[in-house]
Amino acid sequence: MKPFRTQIKFYLENPDSVDVAHFGAVFQRWIQQTLLKELIIDVADYRHVFEGPGVILIGHASDYAIESREGRLGLTYTRKRQLEPNLQTQLRTSFELALAAAEMLEAEESFSPRLKFRTDEIEIRFPDRLNLPNKPETFDLVKDDLAAVLAEVYGGVLNFAPSAPDPRHLFSVAVHHESAAGVSDLLRQLQGSAQPG
Amino acid sequence: MTQESWKVALEEQVPEERAREIDTFAGQMELRRQNKLDEKVFAETRLRWGIYGQRYDNGQRFDGTKTQTLKYPAGDLTKGPGTFWDAPGMLRIKIPFGGVTPSQMEVLAEVADEYSDGILHVTTRQDFQLHFVHIEDMPDLMWRLAAVGITSQEACGNTVRNITACPLAGVCHDESFDVTPYARAMAYFLLGHDDTQDFGRKFKTAFSGCAQHACGLTNIHDFGLLAKTRTVDGETQRGFAVYVGGGLGTIPQPAKLLSDFVTEDEILPIGQAMARVFARLGEKKNRNRARMKFLVEQLGIDEFRRLVYEERALLTPDPRWTDYLEDVPKFKETPVRKPFSLNGQAHPDGFDAWYKTNIYEQRQDDYVVVYVNLPLGDLTSTQMFSFADIARKYAGDLVRTTVEQNMVLRWVSEADLPALYTELKAVGLAEPNINTIVDITSCPGTDTCKLGIASSRGLAGELRDQLTKKMPTLPDAVKELKIKISGCFNSCGQHHVADIGFFGNSRRSGNYLVPHFQVVLGGKWKDNAGSYGLACGAVPSKRVPEVLETITNRFANERIDSETFQDWISRLGKKEVRAILEPFMKVPTHDEDPSYYSDWGDTREYSLGDIGIGECAGEVVSLFSMEIAKAESNHFDGLVILDEGNYVKADDYAYRAMLSGARALVRTRYITVGDDANKIVDEFRRLFYDTKQFFDPFAGGKFAHYLFDRHENPPTQVDFDAARRLLEESQLFIEACYSCEARVNGSIVS
Repeated sequence: MKPFRTQIKFYLENPDSVDVAHFGAVFQRWIQQTLLKELIIDVADYRHVFEGPGVILIGHASDYAIESREGRLGLTYTRKRQLEPNLQTQLRTSFELALAAAEMLEAEESFSPRLKFRTDEIEIRFPDRLNLPNKPETFDLVKDDLAAVLAEVYGGVLNFAPSAPDPRHLFSVAVHHESAAGVSDLLRQLQGSAQPG
Repeated sequence: MTQESWKVALEEQVPEERAREIDTFAGQMELRRQNKLDEKVFAETRLRWGIYGQRYDNGQRFDGTKTQTLKYPAGDLTKGPGTFWDAPGMLRIKIPFGGVTPSQMEVLAEVADEYSDGILHVTTRQDFQLHFVHIEDMPDLMWRLAAVGITSQEACGNTVRNITACPLAGVCHDESFDVTPYARAMAYFLLGHDDTQDFGRKFKTAFSGCAQHACGLTNIHDFGLLAKTRTVDGETQRGFAVYVGGGLGTIPQPAKLLSDFVTEDEILPIGQAMARVFARLGEKKNRNRARMKFLVEQLGIDEFRRLVYEERALLTPDPRWTDYLEDVPKFKETPVRKPFSLNGQAHPDGFDAWYKTNIYEQRQDDYVVVYVNLPLGDLTSTQMFSFADIARKYAGDLVRTTVEQNMVLRWVSEADLPALYTELKAVGLAEPNINTIVDITSCPGTDTCKLGIASSRGLAGELRDQLTKKMPTLPDAVKELKIKISGCFNSCGQHHVADIGFFGNSRRSGNYLVPHFQVVLGGKWKDNAGSYGLACGAVPSKRVPEVLETITNRFANERIDSETFQDWISRLGKKEVRAILEPFMKVPTHDEDPSYYSDWGDTREYSLGDIGIGECAGEVVSLFSMEIAKAESNHFDGLVILDEGNYVKADDYAYRAMLSGARALVRTRYITVGDDANKIVDEFRRLFYDTKQFFDPFAGGKFAHYLFDRHENPPTQVDFDAARRLLEESQLFIEACYSCEARVNGSIVS
């Protein structure tokens, strides 16, 4: 089983101190300097929309959005094209690219104060209402693959559960971990434990 | 789990004919993927399904320092000439008369979530647009939309575009009658009709319930229908005044009256007959003269009318012409709530300001229309789900989009307003200021449009932010003004019919390009877009907010009694208007102020050349700059003379402006060309037209033909419309000279 799309969101610490407008310049520079090793196309600015996608770095297979859905600012990575053979690989790729982008953003010196992403709580969404509708039984379809990848990222067993009560909304899973490491450590851990999906 | 397809999941919910059409499109996609279908044929096919290309789909993007090649994974495979298969595109979804139900809104939210970037955009034709969609996702999208009765078919391409209508139809105080059932019947009658498949260009239709308001904008349509009644033998008869050949585009043209009264049973066959005449006689080769307005102009309205009625007489009767009329008397919208007045209820914070601008009292007692203000026409999928819930609760199925890129809930009981406001506010949909200077219309511009020259959405967002803060202190006369912005001369933002309009262009400064906006003043939104504004001068994009403040302050201080903005501009005269703009026209060098050299909402350097910083020649005034200034001056003088009523002289000045522009270009290659008009035109043709150096990347040689046509065919008679049109053309010709010079002579990468 591979879903049409996957999304992973890392929330920002101290969101009130973050200048969302500045992400436009940062993402444009990422394109200029080809800092991401994938096809990136443009930057879209939706800051005018209430709790919207904010500023999006649009790619062919990936989108990176600094968005504030439900009033919570964070980085949402979207895996857009079905390039991986199965859910587990797709999730692993999504985590790797999301963490790498979060790490790059934390390293951006032009943000004052510097950005910091939380890793104790993340959200994973599946924009695929055909195969993964927002129903209780859907959880069984994803939980094993999710557990396997989360173990690679966090190095242990995690609590996660469906998180979107409205059946019309995307099937989502909230992940909690009380003593998580930073995004760089999680990225290294995932890369160190990489295994074929 | 087996992955089923949306087709399998939804096939039984989709009418057979629609299902077959979607299958056909999917088949054509596969043929194109295998290179068995010509790319041009596939391009027109997808356009007819509402699938447009987007900026950068040619695999090139200027990153602010250099042009990067975007290597799309599908390699050379294209979905049209110069349009790569894997490049994200736009889907336009037709919403006839803007009518949309909560169930449809939910599906729109779903598809925005899954195939787009989570944003739904309302257009100036009451459509929805999704951006950044992959071509391969389109069939699934079509199945999902079709399952709730929505199609994107014929939303683009040379087809009958979405049929628009007043969002207040049926509840308005001033209408002759509710045009909704007629608009719906026309939309589905012409959709896919055999007689609408062979146009040279698009065909836009609109319905309006009255003459005095702008909701239907019949004056700017190819086919505008304005509801009327008359009494015959004591019986009230319904019909429509029919207007034809209106349009904005590069050169705006007001519609002409085809018939003062077409009975209701005749509007569909008249539409069909008109489509046949347009298909048969409309221009097919020269896309730039292929709209209906050119055919009406070429034939004259009397001959066009004769041909339409002649064609009408030849049509084979079709029961669909009148079948729907049986249901018209029964057509009635059913509110979900009983009518009660507000009756002294407590008002939540912000309610009063919202009520003042966003509520329209229906002619039905204690019912109101609630306007939902969408910034730049956008809302998120999450907002759309919530909005569907709110609509279901307070308005049932009675939701519409508007041509000003907003949405309305109809038949809301006034007593529900405090609760409704609170619920809308919770999801960011209770912004006040509908129909005010803050409620700015904008086309996509450089954000996503391949034709965009300047950032119309960036400017609209900036002005909206600034004006929202100032709104409490603005004079009422200023609050009521309308601003509309287009990213180029093509008028998708309808800048011609705003009090204050802007359209994007650019100017060269040394080796840099500077985004500019042409200021268009004095257009009229009322009376169904009753008259068009005139371009008064281009200012750097970054100075537009100051220009706006200066103009509106002057208007507030100088207007006499209840003088309108149009009357004030007219009284002021072109010279004074120009004098207002001139202080803002100067562009500092890049070293002095680099902020001028990027556009609103986009931090990239605007078209910086490969020469780079340090080789800027901005301080040197080139020969071209000196020469083109004469063209600008001729054009401006022509505007002044037009105001004075001397149409022959205005026409001559417009012609001189184009000659001066051509001469400015020619002299960059052939400095001794002299002043002889024939020589200038010949050399311009040889050096810049035949070599295609003057060609706009998208409009081709269109603007050169404005000069050639006038030079070769001087008019024997000139009226106001003709003089005004030539002035508009000369202004566009001058813009094209600037672009050509920047492209050819400036070492600029854009």
